[in-house]
Amino acid sequence: MSGIRSEEGAQGRAAEPRPQPPPSGGLDLRSADAEGGKAQLLDDAANEPRRARWVPILSYVITVLVLVTLNFAVPRLMPGGPIDALLAQGSPDYVADTEVRENLTRYYNLDAPVWEQYGRYLANLATGDLGYSISTNRPVSQDLRERLPWTLLLITLSIALSIAIGIPAGIHSAWKRGRKVDRGLLGFFLAAQNLPIYFVGAMVLLVFSVKLGLFPLGGASAPFADHGPLAAVLDVAHHLALPVLLMALQFAAYQYLVMRSSMVSELGADYLVGGRAKGLKVRRLQYAYAGRNALLPVVTVVGMQFSLAVTSVIFVEQIFAYPGVGLYMFHAVFVRDYPAMQGAFLVLTVMVVTVNLFVDLLYRRLDPRTAA
Amino acid sequence: MSGLAAELRRSPLLAAGLIVVILLTAVATLAPHIAPFDPKAIVGDALQAPSSRHLLGTNDAGVDIFSELVWGARSTLVVASAATALVLVIGVLLGLVAGLYGGLAETAVMRSGDVVLAIPAIPLLIFIASLAGPSRIVAIVSIGLLGWPQVARVVRSQTLSLRSRGFVHATRGYGAGPLYVMRRHLVPALGPIIAANLAFMAGLAVTIEAGLAFIGLGDPTTVSWGAMLERALRHQAIYVSSMWLWWLLPAGLAITTAVLGFTFVGVGLEPRFNPRWTRIS
Repeated sequence: MSGIRSEEGAQGRAAEPRPQPPPSGGLDLRSADAEGGKAQLLDDAANEPRRARWVPILSYVITVLVLVTLNFAVPRLMPGGPIDALLAQGSPDYVADTEVRENLTRYYNLDAPVWEQYGRYLANLATGDLGYSISTNRPVSQDLRERLPWTLLLITLSIALSIAIGIPAGIHSAWKRGRKVDRGLLGFFLAAQNLPIYFVGAMVLLVFSVKLGLFPLGGASAPFADHGPLAAVLDVAHHLALPVLLMALQFAAYQYLVMRSSMVSELGADYLVGGRAKGLKVRRLQYAYAGRNALLPVVTVVGMQFSLAVTSVIFVEQIFAYPGVGLYMFHAVFVRDYPAMQGAFLVLTVMVVTVNLFVDLLYRRLDPRTAA
Repeated sequence: MSGLAAELRRSPLLAAGLIVVILLTAVATLAPHIAPFDPKAIVGDALQAPSSRHLLGTNDAGVDIFSELVWGARSTLVVASAATALVLVIGVLLGLVAGLYGGLAETAVMRSGDVVLAIPAIPLLIFIASLAGPSRIVAIVSIGLLGWPQVARVVRSQTLSLRSRGFVHATRGYGAGPLYVMRRHLVPALGPIIAANLAFMAGLAVTIEAGLAFIGLGDPTTVSWGAMLERALRHQAIYVSSMWLWWLLPAGLAITTAVLGFTFVGVGLEPRFNPRWTRIS
């Protein structure tokens, strides 16, 4: 036990400040650096407490601006410009007539200078105007408002469940590190984290819904069903079960790995030896003592998983035909409904960075080293 | 060499991962010799069950699924290695710039890295790919542009810590040039860390490439496992007949095996620089 402790000490914060976190989840590109970033910010915070408070907010504003600008610029950077992107050959709205094209260009202000276009775009965005969907013929914002609650329900429940799985598993695994339980859990979660969710999802649907008939084939609730409020809730839960479980296992994996590694570094601490000598129950030592101290990095991870979540949601909603923003985006891509796609992209990504900001601020409060 | 053998004995994960990666490379290189048919040509009736002629049957267009599977290894490997190479080049360059020059350059690199890391990569990739048109190049470049910050961070932090170490000062004091220090100290220190990072990145690239194809944004000119999944899942009878056994399952398992292979290599390399992991893998 103490061997591990001293190794940690020898490695030191200065030499390699971040405990190398385990690989990150399925499709999340931002793998190993959840903690690295925090360690970096932490160091900054320790040196310059006053400036550091603005760092997360400033970088949030910059990130949102980058996203908003990407949303504006990418269609304009494509060969042929946005009109071609919307009405090009291959799209359902292909327009061959040049005069119609010119009218459209004028209508959408595409002949105005770029800065004027950008200003208009920002002004529209500020009023919540995301344009009209080509496939549903409704304002994109209205479409999204109907679908967002389903996606949020899916994500929130998955993350809640993943916390209930990942953290206890991490604590348990670290406590028994090197033993069979630990190896088993580690292997399981390493696999759960990296399996492609679109394939596993299809298999899960095949086995549990098609072959065994235990769960519905898709959707968020049974259509045309006429039942009381309790039955309706149960029905929604029944539809949620598989997608939530699938996503929760994937999220739990990263929490487990971070919790485990953070917990291992707590083991061997004097307060645990003292607690044990005092005759405290193992469970109390695990959760109220070591676990509580080890929890901090996991808080960051949970927040960052929102990013993984919006990714998983695109695939999972498609497989389970769940009527959320992810499926909306999927359809939009399929029928080349660019306004809908842009809207979905913007809403999902801004949601992610906003959650990250809050987690970042929360983290600073929780960590006594940075708490004001 | 004996060091490698010892390493492999110590870490079964690394050995398993390396076997998968070597196998993948072999299949990808020898694809024309292994695959019995042209993976894009219609070579028989549609939707055949496996037979001695078509080991995994044919798909709804009459394409030999086994040949598709073999050629899919090639596109998987191409995307994984190209994207990873791009990440390596950008990450190491920017990391060195940040670590060696410091000041404004460092701030610029690290903060833009933060912004890149904060953007959810897949939605952005989907967005770009659907506008730019599905192509492998777009996927590779996007993965490269989104994946560099991790490598840059590792390179920077190692460079910083090495620069102030006594033995580096001593080496410089004995008259060694910066290139010697890089070769003798920086590369050995960075090698395993970067290798592990790149292995994870390669695994991610495989998942992402297949994921894009699954959404229908795969390169239509190449055969890929993700596109096989997508096509199979779009077929109405895929769940209710036993077709999924030879159409859906092999492609999915191939993706899974490749991803896990790269990941295991990454995890297997980690203990070399992270004592926290020594006891487990």
